[in-house]
Amino acid sequence: MISVLIERRNLRMKSNILRGVFEDNLRVLGRRAAPRWGTGFTLSRKLLLSLCTAVVMVLIHGSFPSHQWFPESQIRAGLLYRQPVGVPDLRGPAGALSGEVFQALTENQEVPLWRLLGMGVKTIMIDPGHGGRDSGAIGTRGTMEKDLVLDIARRLKSKLEVYDDYRVVLTRDEDVQVPLKERVELAQRHQADIFISIHLNYLPQKPINIIETFYFGPSDDVKTSRLAEKENAGSEIGLNNFKEMVEKLNDELRLVESRELAVSIQSSLYNSSRKHGSDIFDYGTKQAPFVVLLGVDVPSVLVELSCLSNVEEEKKLNTESHRENIARYLETGILDYLGRNKGEALYGASR
Amino acid sequence: MAQADKKLHIGIDLGTSRSSTAADNGEKRWITSYVGWPKDFVAAQVVGKEVLFGDEALENRLSLQICRPLERGIIREGIERSEEAVKAIIRHLVELVSKDSDARIHAVVGVPAESLNINKLAIRKAVSEYVHSLMVVSEPFAVAYGMGQLKNAMVIDIGAGTTDFCIMHGAIPGEDDQRTNLNAGDHIDEQLFSNLSEKYPNATFNINMVRQFKEQYSFVGDIDDEIKVEIPVDGKPVMHDIKDEMRRACESILPALIETTAELIAGFDPEFQAKVKKNIILAGGGSLIRGIDGVLQEALKEYGSCKVTCVDDPLFAGSLGALKLAQDMPASYWETL
Ligand SMILES: Nc1ncnc2c1ncn2[C@@H]1O[C@H](COP(=O)(O)OP(=O)(O)OP(=O)(O)O)[C@@H](O)[C@H]1O
Ligand SMILES: [Mg+2]
Ligand SMILES: [Zn+2]
Repeated sequence: MISVLIERRNLRMKSNILRGVFEDNLRVLGRRAAPRWGTGFTLSRKLLLSLCTAVVMVLIHGSFPSHQWFPESQIRAGLLYRQPVGVPDLRGPAGALSGEVFQALTENQEVPLWRLLGMGVKTIMIDPGHGGRDSGAIGTRGTMEKDLVLDIARRLKSKLEVYDDYRVVLTRDEDVQVPLKERVELAQRHQADIFISIHLNYLPQKPINIIETFYFGPSDDVKTSRLAEKENAGSEIGLNNFKEMVEKLNDELRLVESRELAVSIQSSLYNSSRKHGSDIFDYGTKQAPFVVLLGVDVPSVLVELSCLSNVEEEKKLNTESHRENIARYLETGILDYLGRNKGEALYGASR
Repeated sequence: MAQADKKLHIGIDLGTSRSSTAADNGEKRWITSYVGWPKDFVAAQVVGKEVLFGDEALENRLSLQICRPLERGIIREGIERSEEAVKAIIRHLVELVSKDSDARIHAVVGVPAESLNINKLAIRKAVSEYVHSLMVVSEPFAVAYGMGQLKNAMVIDIGAGTTDFCIMHGAIPGEDDQRTNLNAGDHIDEQLFSNLSEKYPNATFNINMVRQFKEQYSFVGDIDDEIKVEIPVDGKPVMHDIKDEMRRACESILPALIETTAELIAGFDPEFQAKVKKNIILAGGGSLIRGIDGVLQEALKEYGSCKVTCVDDPLFAGSLGALKLAQDMPASYWETL
């Protein structure tokens, strides 16, 4: 009797496993075959609309040169996506201007097989925000975001380089202005496997200090959109990229990976900062329409390390040890994502 | 055209150094994972084929552009070639066991479980032309399934490029149940090569010779026998004692092996931990290292009592497991994919 029960249980377990394998494979297939937007139309339209709003905001506030307004019908592109074949060409005069950006953003490199197999040298691209004439946020004591993030990026680079497996590339290693488009191209040229953009937040109305990490996606949160608009300045993206944007967004694979990378980094940053006595708030991981994340074809995140508007934090950021710590937390987050901290890292580095 | 009623199930283990394939028509083959294309027109005439595989490719390497499709080093030679190589080798593995081409082919391919874990789509793309329906699974999972170890078990697949760890708990293993590290066969080869170069600076040998020494004499822990091999010095064959160097090279993978095993197990609740520790299974070419099960079992003692065993047939454990999965999979699943 008992043996029959055990037999039954084993059978059930086996069929669960088989279904697991099947669903796992189906999911992989589904990521390409059936767009997420296929079902739940109302929801998807809502998302699209908010994305669209964000795009428009970027356009208005970014350095987009000709102030071309868009007809209502185009804004409701959510409808258009249902019939991808018949999508009207949205390229207006603005389209010509941003054709290049467009290409950089959407050129379809199939991810090479060796890399998918996880056999590749991992190229990690670190993107210190702003630079040159674009100073980013400026603290009350005059500390500039561009300088701090560059310093932290350099520290992070040398930490990651301890492991022989990673090639680490910075999008800028000097105080120069690098357009977002170029950052995207750099990631492609260097065949980055993951992309991490680092920034400092600025919250003029609030004295608090927060950490948050973003990955590309629509946002219906006004604050996030506003932040995106700040960080997107310097891109020349036009609405003609809209359809492609949505398609990219649809690339769920990258989305899932990006989210995971964001979670690893955010939790390492927040947990360690808190442990070391920082009075800091965890704002978690969110999706946001940052142009620089959209263009990069691999898992990519944008981290707002802390707040330069917080006076205490600005003081601390001026110390080398604090910047070194932040770089270390970032390193841990990245290695966690790469699945390395669990064993191997102990051998790779002499800590 | 395929006949709907005729089906052939195939299990494939796609490895960095060796790949094996098994089908339910009883065919079972393995090859070294080499793919080679003739370098030029003359070479094409000499070898008489468009593409060569396995040892045949290796033997003709002077006429060929040759690669191990999944090897890390290949990246530098251009991405397209290595993609093409993966495609070619899978096709070859399918053809090796499916001469009878009018059956519908349902294949399960086991691939190294890696950290970025997004390989499935690519594999699927590479083989969609040759098989009717396909599933991709992680290599150690296929081994576990093949052995009927669905729960309370841990499989460690010590391959050439990577060592893959996988915990089975009655469901399909997720990210948290798997780990990969780079301390595997190739790493031992490199260690042995450098140990020998240091001790016998005048002797001439290459990495292939060294690998052969390893595959013949590998061991960890203590053994009584001597290990003497012939290595030419100034063109003359001389016998050398390489026991110490061999041990050091083979043992170089142990620290990471032990640590990763302990760490992975430590992530589970104590009751489950105790069960898993009693059922650790070594697979892959590295499980053939003499004494490795005993040494690992001994080393893990400090974490509680353990039992470590090796699979019977490391060369085919993966492909046979994949085949079993393919056979057990309900027909409706195959049709949907
Ligand atoms: N007797 C042996 N002793 C030690 N190592 C051996 C022995 N026989 C084979 N190997 C090694 O095992 C490795 C191949 O094992 P296996 O076929 O499991 O690897 P793979 O599946 O090709 O690699 P991976 O799983 O990393 O993709 C090679 O490094 C080979 O030299
Ligand atoms: Mg293998
Ligand atoms: Zn910024």
